[in-house]
Amino acid sequence: MTTSASGDRGGSRGGRGSQAGVGGTVVTAREVTRDYRRGRTRVRALRGASVTVARGDFLAVTGPSGSGKSTLLHLLGGVDLPTSGEVLFLGRDLARLSVEERAALRLREVGLVFQRFHLLPMLSAIENVELPLAAARVGRRERRERAAAVLEQVGLADRLRHRPSELSGGQCQRVAIARALANDPALILADEPTGELDRATSRRVLALFQELNAAGTTLVVATHDPELAAGARRSIQVVDGRTRP
Amino acid sequence: MSVLARNSIRELRHRPLRTLLTVAGVAVSTAMLADMLMLAVGIQQSFGDLLESRGYELRVSPKGTLPFDTEATIPGWGALQDSVGSVAGVERVAPVLAMSVSAEVVEGGVDSREARRTLALGLDPGNRALYGLVEGELPGTGEVLLDARLAVELGVGPDSRLRLATASGFAGWGRSATVRVSGTGDFVFATRRDMPVAMPMADLQALSGLDDEVSFAMVRMEGDADPEAVRAGIVAASQRVEVVTLAGIADELDERLSYFRQVSVVLGSVSLFVAALLIGTITAVSVSERLGVIAAVRAIGVGRARVVGDIAAESVILAVIGGGIGIGLSVVVAGYLESILAGLPGLPAAVRFFVLQPASLVTAYALVIVSGAVAGLVPALHAAGREVTELLHREEP
Repeated sequence: MTTSASGDRGGSRGGRGSQAGVGGTVVTAREVTRDYRRGRTRVRALRGASVTVARGDFLAVTGPSGSGKSTLLHLLGGVDLPTSGEVLFLGRDLARLSVEERAALRLREVGLVFQRFHLLPMLSAIENVELPLAAARVGRRERRERAAAVLEQVGLADRLRHRPSELSGGQCQRVAIARALANDPALILADEPTGELDRATSRRVLALFQELNAAGTTLVVATHDPELAAGARRSIQVVDGRTRP
Repeated sequence: MSVLARNSIRELRHRPLRTLLTVAGVAVSTAMLADMLMLAVGIQQSFGDLLESRGYELRVSPKGTLPFDTEATIPGWGALQDSVGSVAGVERVAPVLAMSVSAEVVEGGVDSREARRTLALGLDPGNRALYGLVEGELPGTGEVLLDARLAVELGVGPDSRLRLATASGFAGWGRSATVRVSGTGDFVFATRRDMPVAMPMADLQALSGLDDEVSFAMVRMEGDADPEAVRAGIVAASQRVEVVTLAGIADELDERLSYFRQVSVVLGSVSLFVAALLIGTITAVSVSERLGVIAAVRAIGVGRARVVGDIAAESVILAVIGGGIGIGLSVVVAGYLESILAGLPGLPAAVRFFVLQPASLVTAYALVIVSGAVAGLVPALHAAGREVTELLHREEP
């Protein structure tokens, strides 16, 4: 089953949209399966899921717990590889890339947002955002300026020096979103980004996603949150490892 | 400094007690390692330096012995000295007769008149290879030069009189002579207990009845002579003597101290292993506490090598700090142990067990840093080698 993107609205951030793949497609997953071994048991997390994400898309991936949403996100971002099927990211078959090549691709083209933020607790907000920039060998001054700019973009200009323990959950998630945006990626993947947040904070995160999308950022969000799913441009469901429109 | 390295330093500062205990453990292990390295080579080097400083490259002693090794003597020395002196490359021959004697103050002493057993060296007083003059003058006929510490112990000084008697069990037992103290000196091979006296060779030979016998002789070579060639020449001149070069003595010493050195190496290795184990354990604990962050950092695209390097950097920081403190500690501990071992009987007081060598300290420091880095690499590689998705599944609800 193939679920297509609904279109391309809005401009691209920093011109990165122009680098998107053939026909404006950022990533395509075709009939992907993913098996895991749990002890002696083989678990099939995905059973032939397909999805295409176009430049400027804001796609919500919904479905019950254990349905394979996170696995699909990991495959789309090149964090993991499918057991069968293929994932084309900006036209490149991820299965043909080495571990380090996929890491480099994720660093520059994919921004990841986690449910539990996974910020480095000993680093300030700006240092956390600097992390992917430093890994991409951006110079010290430039990375500081860019990190400050994205933190300002997510509304945390006054929290640059604060550590995660000094920030609220919503602020931590916004730092995590800023970190995902730092390298101006072609795609943001957010896995249950509001799972640890209260309703009011979740709405602010949704508003931020919509704002980013309006500015051209391509987003795929796995969520249980119906409000977040409704706020996306379109959504697909993952049920029993298969995608449904 | 990289962002992750900065995080590592702050992680260490965030857990001060854990960091402090680890650094303390590494410091103690490093101190032990450095001390063992110093001990492994110290006594050899200090003894070698002592021998070389005398300026005589060869020693001639009775067959099968080393100087000061036994009470054996070389009979018929007068003729032999001429033969040795005529060997090509020999510049000077300095014979020494060493013998246990008892010394008793005849006058001028402040304490009791009890006899004190000591070592008498019969030699050419002008040959100062075995002592330096501290006070007074060199001994002439009927005179002795006392080790300065012995003079203090006996409460005597220049112009005092001593009665010297050959000790029981030695040649000429029961003979005695009253001699004048000409001065005091600093004897190179004096031990804590054995503080020698020096007197003219003829006087000691007369006292002991060992006419024409010496315990050993020191041979100085001409500047360009080959020690082995001179040694062979002397051996050819007499089959009754053992001739050793300084290198030969060093080899002999090396052999005799090999067990000592092996123990040092084993204990040093154990210390190094303990330091590595400590750092590895702490790093493993630290890594297991941060698996989620490590997974996330790898997921966002930070390369495996960089993650491994930054985790290992934490181990290196512990090793650098702990090792640095340990090196300082090792100097203090070496000084303390030296003061204990200095009382060991039979060894010249000038010989040191712990010789402070920059090479030993640098080696110990480098070994601790390298082993700390390797120990940190193990948990770092283990964490970085795990599947990112597996870790994320574990860390995310």
